[in-house]
Amino acid sequence: MKEAAPPTRPPPPDGDGDPPWDVVVVGGGNAGLVAALTARRDVPRVLILERARAELRGGNTRHTRNIRCVHGRADAYSSGPYLFDELWRDLCAVGTGPSDERLAEITVRESETVPGWMSEHGIRWQRPLTGTLQLGRTNRFFLGGGKALVNTYHRTAQRMGISVAYDAAVDGLVLAGDRCTALSADIAGTRCQVRSRAVVCASGGFEANIGWLRRYWGDAADNYVIRGSSDNDGRVLAALYACGARPAGEEKGFHAVAVDARSPRFDGGIATRLDSIPFGIVVSRDGRRFYDEGEDIWPKRYAIWGRNIAGQPGQIAYSVWDAKVSGLFLPPMYGPVRAASIGQLADALGLAAPALTETVAAYNRAIVPGGSFDPAGLDDCRTRGLDPAKSHWAQPIDTPPYYGIPMRPGITFTYMGAAVTEAARVLRQDGTAFGNVFAAGEIMSGNILSTGYLAGFGLTIGSVWGRIAGREAARLVCR
Amino acid sequence: MSVDDPSAGDPSVDELLAEAQRQLTICNSCRYCEGYCAVFPAVERHTVIAEGDITHLANLCHDCRACYYACMYAPPHEFGVNPPAILGEIRRATYDTYLRHPRLPGWLARGERAGRGLGGPGLPEPGLPGRRCAHHGLTAAAGLVGALIVALVALTEGIGALWAPRHPAGSPYGVISYPALLVTVALPSAWSVALMLRAAGRYWHDTHGPLRDLADPRALGRALGYAASLRYLRGGGEDCSYPQDAPSPVRRRLHAAVSYGFAACFAATVAAAVLQDFLGSPPPYPPLSAPVILGTGGGIAMISGCTGLIVLKRRSDPAPAAGAAVADYGLLIGLEALAVTGILTLLLRTTAAFGLMLVIHLTTIVVCIAVAPYTTFAHFIYRFLAIMHDNLAAEAQRAGVRPGPRTGPDRSRHSRK
Repeated sequence: MKEAAPPTRPPPPDGDGDPPWDVVVVGGGNAGLVAALTARRDVPRVLILERARAELRGGNTRHTRNIRCVHGRADAYSSGPYLFDELWRDLCAVGTGPSDERLAEITVRESETVPGWMSEHGIRWQRPLTGTLQLGRTNRFFLGGGKALVNTYHRTAQRMGISVAYDAAVDGLVLAGDRCTALSADIAGTRCQVRSRAVVCASGGFEANIGWLRRYWGDAADNYVIRGSSDNDGRVLAALYACGARPAGEEKGFHAVAVDARSPRFDGGIATRLDSIPFGIVVSRDGRRFYDEGEDIWPKRYAIWGRNIAGQPGQIAYSVWDAKVSGLFLPPMYGPVRAASIGQLADALGLAAPALTETVAAYNRAIVPGGSFDPAGLDDCRTRGLDPAKSHWAQPIDTPPYYGIPMRPGITFTYMGAAVTEAARVLRQDGTAFGNVFAAGEIMSGNILSTGYLAGFGLTIGSVWGRIAGREAARLVCR
Repeated sequence: MSVDDPSAGDPSVDELLAEAQRQLTICNSCRYCEGYCAVFPAVERHTVIAEGDITHLANLCHDCRACYYACMYAPPHEFGVNPPAILGEIRRATYDTYLRHPRLPGWLARGERAGRGLGGPGLPEPGLPGRRCAHHGLTAAAGLVGALIVALVALTEGIGALWAPRHPAGSPYGVISYPALLVTVALPSAWSVALMLRAAGRYWHDTHGPLRDLADPRALGRALGYAASLRYLRGGGEDCSYPQDAPSPVRRRLHAAVSYGFAACFAATVAAAVLQDFLGSPPPYPPLSAPVILGTGGGIAMISGCTGLIVLKRRSDPAPAAGAAVADYGLLIGLEALAVTGILTLLLRTTAAFGLMLVIHLTTIVVCIAVAPYTTFAHFIYRFLAIMHDNLAAEAQRAGVRPGPRTGPDRSRHSRK
């Protein structure tokens, strides 16, 4: 682990004798790494303050897999063009559309040069595997996923002479007028002030701070599963707010998916999410259906199910399917609950057997006969006269054994963050910007995302705004 | 099982398989590593990973470690996913299992410990040579073989040939007669080849089935190409994460030096046989002859490759490694000894030390050949058969014989985070 887990470097200079850092980046995920790599091209002294210890570095980026960028034509890693207009339309179609159209437009426009930049900084892409895997058109997959990406960027950073301090928690900004002169931090158990000419905040959302979530969600927050790092407690965002930063984005905005209710509270990542929903029905804890499970193809709809479940009593729901469709989707990590009858399945899941039996019977009766089931596209298997309807892939649940899994909302990241300018400078309540404080990534995603989510776009935001923040921070120092 | 049984405290094979199953189920729900090697696409062909598949997957894993460093679930994460380590443990058990009967002769396997073999269908209870004590057996074996060869020298050319080889200078037959030499090397070779063929047959039976599938030309061609190019030591084009996190081609190159060096030495022997038996040109051969060039080049490649791999292994990150790697060092040291004694024999062939050096080299050859099946040397069999099976399974999947990972409405199931 020597390479993967370099020892925590000594705390950065904090005495008056040492010169301040040119740029200090708070957060070692994708946005922070991109900002540091970009800044380092123009200024020599760049420091990354990584909250986690080395083995767990990278924040939520560790759980990422792909990135969504504009591209003009197909290449070895994408199956066709994905032009500005289409990505823009896709972005406008999720939730209530972009929060700030100007910043969203910059994100989409600048995404086009991101894959090339990533390659230049060592990222490798995954080729389609013969016969088994289709190539995505809209999203490019980097080899090995997010932790590999973080490792690659760290190696590049090391080569470029960027310093990294692990186990470094920033909890305050020392201000002089509109400028931040130093960060208050706890680095490997030592209190210190890290002086810097410019600061980039790339420390993620506040989704791991259950108390903060509770302010907007009440006790329901206790039932949320946090899919990423438990370090994302919003400490830096709170410090920015305390200094007068203007909030951007919805308080309740987040990206959430359906995850296995048996998942660990934090950091379960991709392996705990569930893909069974379109193949069967989903019921609440009182055994009733509440949303069209076959509304649209899964990649377009998977991101609404976190919120769907969050809106149910007890923030829990149950996916139910039968033997006919078993094996058609990714196997759940903990395995499904299995029973010989719907009644027994209800008992095993802790649901009222009569209610679930009645729901399944009503659903089975409402299925329009004669449909031809096609899991690969929008088929004609649907219900009639059922509320809510199931628009596609509706087949009777009648073949034992029956399967079920309890699901919780799995929060990926929160949207509410710091408002920024087009140069990624953090805005203050009065509409003016801080002189030398920038933000990138999830901490400013609320400028762009309102309620919905577009797969792979979190990394796009981090990469585009990491570059802008790193470039502008360095430019400020050089001036 | 003796009191000082070195296996005490080790997990049982069943525990290893259960742990591999647990980890690979997480892998199958994640699939981020599918671009690195054949193991993960192979995992994806199963909805449930059966124990029988795990033996195959363990041998398909080439220990490039890319997945370990890419895994957000690797320790200290509570999921504790570490495929190279668990698959390496199971691989080691495989090596033991498929050679189990006949065992090493008792005198060579003193300190035998209760085995960790894989209980495959139709296989008797495990029992394998104890690794920790095997070196005592090896020393004894080397002594015995050396004595036998000296006896053969005495019987055929007279004991004086040891320090005063007969003419022509530099010919092995000035020390030991051709028939005696042939028997000395052919007997252990036949033993080892038979053992390894038997192991190969049993392994193929358990992990695949029909013998005729080995003749599938496309799968065979691919498998040979993959094995020859060490494809799965490339970590999906990024090279092995070995000895540490950073991808590096060093290990693959060193491995190629060893395997191609070994092949060149083998070719040198064949060339010498052709020259002697078909072209009527007995040894010694001049420096610019095929046997000497191939043998010298191969020997130097083996020495540099083995030395490099030993150094690399010592520097390697222990976290993704499977337990103690004594057995792997054994193979490298054995091959290195072969090459060093061979080169020395060549260098000293015109001196008075030639006789003794030849006896040492022959002893090394005989011992190495005889114990080869019990060492990591035999890995190439299982690796090759695993690649072969993987290609056949992938072909069957392409032909639609077995259902692939059907992901339903979620065609681009990856485009998520």
